[in-house]
Amino acid sequence: MKRIAAIVLLVLAAMPVAQADDMKLSVKPLLCITDSRNEVCEMSFLIVWESGKRGYYCLFNDYGEAPMRCWNEEREGRLTDDLNVRETFSFWMAGTDAAKRLAEVRVEVLRMDSDDRRRSRRTRHVWDIN
Amino acid sequence: MTRQFWWLALLAFLAAPCLAAELHEEEKESNWRLGAAVGYGIRSNPLVQSDDIPILVDLDIAWFGKQWFFDNGDLGLTFVDNKALTASVVARVNSDRVFFGKTDTRFVNVDIAGLPLSEAVEFKPPERDYAIELGVEMLTGGNWGALQLTAFHDISGTHGGYELYADYRFGWRLQRLYLEPSFGLSYKSAELNNYYWGVTPEEAGVVTSPYEADAGLNWHLRFMVGYQLDKRWAVSLVTEYERLNDEAAGSPIVENDGVLGWFVGASYRFGR
Repeated sequence: MKRIAAIVLLVLAAMPVAQADDMKLSVKPLLCITDSRNEVCEMSFLIVWESGKRGYYCLFNDYGEAPMRCWNEEREGRLTDDLNVRETFSFWMAGTDAAKRLAEVRVEVLRMDSDDRRRSRRTRHVWDIN
Repeated sequence: MTRQFWWLALLAFLAAPCLAAELHEEEKESNWRLGAAVGYGIRSNPLVQSDDIPILVDLDIAWFGKQWFFDNGDLGLTFVDNKALTASVVARVNSDRVFFGKTDTRFVNVDIAGLPLSEAVEFKPPERDYAIELGVEMLTGGNWGALQLTAFHDISGTHGGYELYADYRFGWRLQRLYLEPSFGLSYKSAELNNYYWGVTPEEAGVVTSPYEADAGLNWHLRFMVGYQLDKRWAVSLVTEYERLNDEAAGSPIVENDGVLGWFVGASYRFGR
């Protein structure tokens, strides 16, 4: 009996807090590609979130301290937002405690040009190393 | 295949610290550029009695220091690097030798004139060595595209000749999609051309005649299309046609006057 109780306790301990882990956040697109001719991505994001329980939730990003939008007594929501992206940044959802991120998605910026001109200017081809 | 295994082992060895460093300093550009592509491609072989060159794995192993660099077999020292021009002294291995590693021995029963021989004789295209070449490379680029000019001379005493090369490319990026056509010319000196594509009287027999190749001009067209799947993975297709100069194409050991190459595959880039 003690063994079963211990296993149940272990399973319960391993289970995440309902509100935190039930939050799902999806963002599209997730990749911005820049080079010397296109240093900024003009991106239109579709952000969709869904939570296991109703509540007060806010969407944030790294571009500002204020939330992009908040929802009250909702368990899902969506938002479209246009941004000029230069660097990798994140969108995240928070509840009443704004400091606690319930779900986070990172939008990556991939720079195809190098700081080293030789890397950008040299060419190589698949048969060069045969 | 064995060589490709050792290259892969080297790549894995070099990539380990690169990946570890990336966890701590993701935004800082590493001195290393490491990548691997797996796919399928072929480069045709213009020589008689030869096999096409298969391309299954393509490794990208490069290191760039402040002035020195190693870029997939090229060893260089950069002496000018500004917005207008990057100039380096580079040592490399000549690329013409690659075709001579895929030749076959066959028994032939007709002579040079096409007349039947009394008995079949063994024939194999002649052997050629790798040449180490030293030269100057000048690179420039901007919104108008990129231009590469090189001049290389043999320093290994293999062919004793030189090559002048020019290539222009222009790339378009539509976010994940990248298109890059390019074209260029390559002037091969008489010594270089004759070493690789000529046939000495000693090499000539009843099957082939002696041949002396003079200097000539190759040209090439290339097209690349790539699609970035995520930060590390991309798929790409590269195709190239290179027309051999008339002096090389006229050699009795040359069957085709052009070299067609293509490769399609998925590539992975380590680090940044």
